[in-house]
Amino acid sequence: MTVSTVASASRAEDDRGEVARGCFVYAVVRAGMPEARDAPAGLDDVPLRLVVEGDVAAVVNDVLLDRPPGRRADLMAYQRVLDHLAAQGPVVPVQFGSMLLDDDDVRDGVLGPDEPRLVALLDDLEGRSQYQLRATYVPGVPLTEILSLDPTVAALREQTKDRSELESHADRVELGRRVAAAMEDLRAFDADVLLDAVLPFVVDHVIVLGTDLEGLATFSLLVDDERVAELEAQLEELAEAVHERIRLALTGPSAPFDFVGGA
Amino acid sequence: MTTQTMSRRQGGGYLERPAPSGLADVVEMILDKGIVIDAYVRVSLVGIELLTIDARIVIASVDTYLRFAEATNRLDLVENGGGKPLDEFLGDMQQSGASRKVKGAVSGVKSALTSGKEKDDDEDEGSRRPARKAPARRGSSDE
Repeated sequence: MTVSTVASASRAEDDRGEVARGCFVYAVVRAGMPEARDAPAGLDDVPLRLVVEGDVAAVVNDVLLDRPPGRRADLMAYQRVLDHLAAQGPVVPVQFGSMLLDDDDVRDGVLGPDEPRLVALLDDLEGRSQYQLRATYVPGVPLTEILSLDPTVAALREQTKDRSELESHADRVELGRRVAAAMEDLRAFDADVLLDAVLPFVVDHVIVLGTDLEGLATFSLLVDDERVAELEAQLEELAEAVHERIRLALTGPSAPFDFVGGA
Repeated sequence: MTTQTMSRRQGGGYLERPAPSGLADVVEMILDKGIVIDAYVRVSLVGIELLTIDARIVIASVDTYLRFAEATNRLDLVENGGGKPLDEFLGDMQQSGASRKVKGAVSGVKSALTSGKEKDDDEDEGSRRPARKAPARRGSSDE
């Protein structure tokens, strides 16, 4: 099998005292995308390469397998590369941390078998970008609303606030449980309203509801390039309308991390 | 427009447009996303798998509840610090109808969005009013 042959070859290199290298894979782009060669350096400041197979190409760079982790820098380098690629044309991100042994593995294990699907994905993403809309509550607002709307929560707060944590443990857990449940309802309700407002302007969306006291939701939005201005105008109007309760922050464009059917 | 409202504005608008810079932003945006390569073809890069695990911090529910409870209990300290006992504060809120603020604000959003273009005639076209004015409008429709 190809994989084991390659693996033993690299072990042989080790025996000769050389350090084994791997291929860090960032993304798949169209084979004819020359701009990919102008991308910034990747992990460890090593220049990027293209591994071409048919109509698609993987953007990779060579990385020493025994390199120190350097987690933050790796993640940032990955994002920098993907940002650059996304600005050039359609790009299918490959999950962060994907390492193959060599170019043959990239062709045989990533590009070759999936070429038709990758081409279709790239066609589908042409002229589209991902934006992240992050909605957060103005601090204190959701708790104030919950306290004023739910007498049980207000009563539990009264019962627990001047007692020690130890003696009021059960009441505190109950208070927190009720607040957590109320927060979930509030987030779901508000997220629906926000989503309704942006739906006409997006091709696809993914919602992740918040989990803490200020997080409402993060919306990943796939947007046609020519509709971005409309979306921004709509969001500005929305942000003004809700600004006493909710803050809206929009980032992007970025590579379509949430719209390639991964993970 | 009040100064408090103005202070929220960034770059002339209410919609913030930050560049994703923090590690947390990047982790949220990219981790576990993208197409997945078959595990048997992959080789592991020391550290990367660890990062994936680190980023998935799952907090036990009881701890979460206790944190929420603590925040709820802390809230009245803030309010008291503001010069009003919480009871009075809540009383004021109920009297002023602010306890229905959620629905008020939300209907404000909806009307701002749906009626913004065609149905703005009942207001000054030039001066858009923020959502906090919405309860009044909603109230009139209740009657």
